[in-house]
Amino acid sequence: MGKKRRGPTLEELLARPWCYYCERDFEDLKILISHQKAKHFKCERCGRRLNTAGGLSVHMSQVHKEQLSAVDNALPNRSGLDVEIFGMEGVPEDIIQSHNQRVLTQFQQAEAERQAVTGNPPAGTGTGQPSAKKPKVESVSEMKKRLAEHRAKRAEAINGSSAEGTPVGAGQTPPTGGFGQSPQSPAAANQQFSYPQPYGAAATATANQPYQQTASPVYQNYSPGGQPQFPAQYTPQSFQAGTPGQPFPAFGTTPTPSPFPQQQPQPQVPQNIASPQTTPGFTPRSGSLPTAPSLPQRPSFGAPQVNSYQMQQMHMGHPVPTPPGASGADKTPTPGAAPDDQVAKPAEATEEKPTKKDKSKQARLVYSDNEISPEEKMAGLSRYAFVPNRQGETTVERAPPSTIVGTIRDTDNTTLDPTD
Amino acid sequence: MASNQFTVASPPSDAISALKFSPDPESTQFVVSSWDKNVYLYDLRDENGSVGEGKLLQRFEHRAPVLDVCYGANDNEVYTAGLDWDVRRINLATSEQTVLSSHDAGVRNVVYSKEHSLVVSASWDSTLHVHRVDTSADIPPATVPLPSKPFSMSLTATKLVVAMASRSLHIYDLKALALLTEESGEVVNNKIEVEPWQRRESSLKFMTRCVACMPNDDGYASSSIEGRVAVEWFDPSPESQARKYAFKCHRQAAEDVDVVYPVNALAFHPVYGTFASGGGDGVVALWDGIAKRRIRQYQKYPSSVAAVGFSGNGKYLAIAVSPGFEDGRDDIPEGSVNIHVRELGETEAKGKGAK
Repeated sequence: MGKKRRGPTLEELLARPWCYYCERDFEDLKILISHQKAKHFKCERCGRRLNTAGGLSVHMSQVHKEQLSAVDNALPNRSGLDVEIFGMEGVPEDIIQSHNQRVLTQFQQAEAERQAVTGNPPAGTGTGQPSAKKPKVESVSEMKKRLAEHRAKRAEAINGSSAEGTPVGAGQTPPTGGFGQSPQSPAAANQQFSYPQPYGAAATATANQPYQQTASPVYQNYSPGGQPQFPAQYTPQSFQAGTPGQPFPAFGTTPTPSPFPQQQPQPQVPQNIASPQTTPGFTPRSGSLPTAPSLPQRPSFGAPQVNSYQMQQMHMGHPVPTPPGASGADKTPTPGAAPDDQVAKPAEATEEKPTKKDKSKQARLVYSDNEISPEEKMAGLSRYAFVPNRQGETTVERAPPSTIVGTIRDTDNTTLDPTD
Repeated sequence: MASNQFTVASPPSDAISALKFSPDPESTQFVVSSWDKNVYLYDLRDENGSVGEGKLLQRFEHRAPVLDVCYGANDNEVYTAGLDWDVRRINLATSEQTVLSSHDAGVRNVVYSKEHSLVVSASWDSTLHVHRVDTSADIPPATVPLPSKPFSMSLTATKLVVAMASRSLHIYDLKALALLTEESGEVVNNKIEVEPWQRRESSLKFMTRCVACMPNDDGYASSSIEGRVAVEWFDPSPESQARKYAFKCHRQAAEDVDVVYPVNALAFHPVYGTFASGGGDGVVALWDGIAKRRIRQYQKYPSSVAAVGFSGNGKYLAIAVSPGFEDGRDDIPEGSVNIHVRELGETEAKGKGAK
C-alpha cells in the first residue's frame, strides 16, 4: 500500500528558505531572492530591482535623490535598513531561531489539528486510513487506555532500540525526563523526529502505570505537542547536522519524572507564537528574543498562503520597534549560508554598475520630432487634407537645430537631441 | 482580480483622436472622435439598461478629421474640434451641428467648463477661442493668443492648463477668462490679452504630448513623447513645487537600447484621483500620483494607445487603440482600430496609499 503523503515533514519545513522581511517561506533560495527583489528591494520610482536594502537605499539616493527610510512590504519590526539581508544571509541568529520555533509550533498545531480531525496517526506512520473520519470523541477512559498503550509501545521501542547504534539527529540529551522515561536518549530522539510509532501497533500496556493517572485529555497533543519543542532549542544547523552531545540546559540534564509530563518539555516557545495547545507551560526563554512580537500565527499548512502584502496589511497599525536583535552586531551569518557569502557580496557590488550604464544607455525614441506633433504630421497627409491652403500648418519656422538642454525660448527653436 | 474587458463593436475605421466619457456618473455613454471624419457616440448599456458589449448609437460626420471632442452641459451636447478649423456643437438628440467659431488652422483641442459655461478651443493657429455658451445672446468668442502651438489642454473647476510647443505651459484662471470674454466684444477682433495665472516650462525635456488635471483641482500630470510623465501642483508655494516629480514609463528595453514610446494619453480617475497613462507601446498603466506608485499595468495592446478615459463613476476604463503615426505606418489595417472597455474591480484603480 503506497503511503499517502500528506504534507512536508518538519525537516523539510525547517529547511525551507524564508524571507526575513515578511516571514514568508519559499521552495528554494532562488525564489526567495527573486521575491525579495520584487517585494522588498524594488524601487518604487523606476521599478528597478536591487539586491539588498542597502543597494536600494543607494539607488534611491543616487538616482532619485530620495532617502529610503524603510523596506517596503516588510513586517513592522523588520523594515529596518540596518540589517543587510540577501536571501537567507544576514538574518540575525535569534530571528532564525524564533522563526524555527514558529515553524515548529505550527507544525505541531497542524499535526494536532489534523489528528484531531481525522483520528489518524501522524504523517509518515503509514497506517493512516485514507478515508476521512469524523471527529472522534473519546471518553476519558478510552483515552487513558490509549495513552497507556502508547506508553507501553514507547517503552518497548526504547528497550528494543537500545541496540540501535546510530543516534539520530540532535537527540543526545533529550527531554526524556519530560516523559518520565528512563533517559535512553537515542530511542527518544528517534521518536521525536520521525513520529514513527503507529499507535495502533500492538503494545502491551505494562509499563507506565503511574502515568495513566496523569494522562490528560489533551492526549492528542501529547506526542506532537510536546516533542518538537526539543529541537527548537537548537539552531536548525545543529539540528540538521546532528551534532551530538549539545547540552540541553533547560531540563535535559535533570530527567526527573514529572507528574505533568505533557507540559514539562515546553518551555522554549515564546508565548506570542505559541499555539493554544502548546501554550500552557510556556515561558519565554530568557535571553532569547521573542522577535516579531506582533507576528501572527502563520496559517496552518494547507491553508492559503498569505501573501506579504496581506501580511503587511495585517500588521498595519502595529508599529513595533525594530527588534533589539536586528542590529548589525547580531549579524552572525548562519553556518549553512556561509559559503554563499562570497557569492553574494560581488553581486551586490556590481549592482550599481547597471544603473550608471542605464544613464548612458542609448534611448531610441519612437517618435523623435520634438517640434511637430504626430497629429500635425498626420494632418499633413494627403488623405486627411481638408483645406489646400494650410498655412496654419506651418506657422512655426524651423530654426537650425541647436543643442539646448533645459532652456526655453519664446520661439520654437528648441531642438533637443533625442538621444540625449 | 482580473477585470472584465470587452471590445466595443463597430469601432471607427481610422485612427482615433480622442475618447471622452460622459461626466455624468449615471451615464455610460462616451464619444469618440476619429480621423475618419466622424464622431461616434457609444453606450455601454444596451436597450435594457444592462451593461453589455457597448454599442454604437450614432455617428456624426464632419468635413475633415476630428481631433477632439468633449461633453457639454449634459449628455445631449458635445463639442468637437477638427481639421476643418471649426469648433462645433452637436446636439446628440437632434444631430444638429452648430459652428461656434472658426480658427485659422486645425483645431487640436476643445474643453468645456461646467462651472463657468465656457467652451475653450485650442488651435494650431496658436490661439485659444473662448466661447460663452450659457447665454442665448450671441457673444462672439474671445481670441487669446498663445506663444506656441497648443498640443493638449485640460481643465479643472477653476483652471485651464494649455500645453504648447517649446515646452511652454500656461495655466489660466477660468474665472478671469470668463470675465474677459464678456468684455471682449468691445475689442477689435475680440482679441484679449490675458496674462495667464501661471506660465510654466514643462518639467519634461521633450515635446508635451498630453496634460490632464487632477479632479481635486490640486495639480496636473503631463506626458511627453519621450516616455515620461510629470506630476505637478498648481500651488506656487515652494513646498508644493518641491513635490513635483517625473518618472519614466512606456519604454521597452531591446538589447542595449531603450525603445522609448510617446505617452499619448492621460486620464484621471474621477473618484480615486489616480490616473491612467496610455503609450505608443500599446500599454496602459494605472498610477497613484500621490504615493508615486504604479498600481497596475495592463497587458499590451497590439498597437498604440491613442486615448484613455474613465467613466463618470469611475467604474469603466475605455482604451482607444489605433496605429498611431509613431508606428511609422501610413495605412490603417482593417481591424487595428479598437476600443476596449475594462470593467474595473472595486479597488482596481484605487491607490494603495502612502507607505
